Amino acid sequence: MSKPHYDRNHHVEKATDIGDPQCFKGEAGKPRFKVGDRVRVRNLPDIFYTRTQGYVRGAEAVVAELVYESPPAEDESWDNTENVEWFYSLVFKMADLWPDYPDYFPNDTVETEIPEHYLEAA
Amino acid sequence: MSDDKHDLHSPAPMVDEVSEFEVLELAVRELAIEKGLFTKEDHNRWTEYMHTLGPAPAARLVAKAWLDPEFKKLAVNDGVKASLDVGIDWINSMPTNFGTPSDYCNLRVLEDTPKLKHVVVCTLCSCYPRPILGQSPEWYRTPNYRRRIVRWPRQVLAEFGLQLPEDIEVRVEDSNQKSRFIVLPVRPEGTEGWSEDQLAEIVTRDCLIGVAVPKPSVTANRKRPVRRAVNPYHH
Repeated sequence: MSKPHYDRNHHVEKATDIGDPQCFKGEAGKPRFKVGDRVRVRNLPDIFYTRTQGYVRGAEAVVAELVYESPPAEDESWDNTENVEWFYSLVFKMADLWPDYPDYFPNDTVETEIPEHYLEAA
Repeated sequence: MSDDKHDLHSPAPMVDEVSEFEVLELAVRELAIEKGLFTKEDHNRWTEYMHTLGPAPAARLVAKAWLDPEFKKLAVNDGVKASLDVGIDWINSMPTNFGTPSDYCNLRVLEDTPKLKHVVVCTLCSCYPRPILGQSPEWYRTPNYRRRIVRWPRQVLAEFGLQLPEDIEVRVEDSNQKSRFIVLPVRPEGTEGWSEDQLAEIVTRDCLIGVAVPKPSVTANRKRPVRRAVNPYHH
């Protein structure tokens, strides 16, 4: 049997001189959410890899910024770059994440980036 | 308890521990070299490149932003472009020319205000803006810091000697995807009329991560005493 051929260079060829995530710019289409929207993080099942933290799942947040377009890490970790989507920077209230967060710091927040398919309107 | 002369808010000691991931990295690296995926020389070249990096360019970026409102606007809107002015090219830096898988080319500069204080963490691993800030400090990579800063940010900041009033919003920036972050702190009082060089000197690495704020007389990170682990990790 002949040796299988693996294309290990397609990412290098795409990203050189452009940068990653810049090399995926314009591939995600129209974003579903805009700055200021309230969204909830869906608790999707993940096989082996995810970059959506357990502590934000099910929590509501406000979209602070549309940051860039990229395949989600869950796909990219398996070298699947077909489904490019928008990434949103979300701001969560600490009190929404941790029930026992002290009341006297009501303004404290966490900001983190989540890809579009994890989000639903809240 | 601690032998350093401590003031009211002196830093609390850290525990000296080796993480499983460091052991894992060593094992994978040795396997990769044996398998011929890369050579020992490749690894040395990479390591030497990494050792040329440090926090000086980021400190310079902050000092420039304090002095030039136009540059501040650029830094906040396009950190990658602003980095070029301090000699850091995120897109075409050695040795890969597109950043590394863990140094994606999307720098976001987080602007503090008198009512908002940012602090950076990577709860999932230890993402860090290495091209502009160098290697992350040991404590930044520990599960201890990563777990607790999103849960009890004020307590952890207090361990670094930074106590913030209640009316300031603490915003923990969890660096979980392709953006990397540095903090643009508020310019401290007592620095009126300072030159860019003078200002850059007080912007320490800890100020850029957000666990400290710049002070006119402080030009080094505060040393945190290290205590031996009670149950050290053996390997």
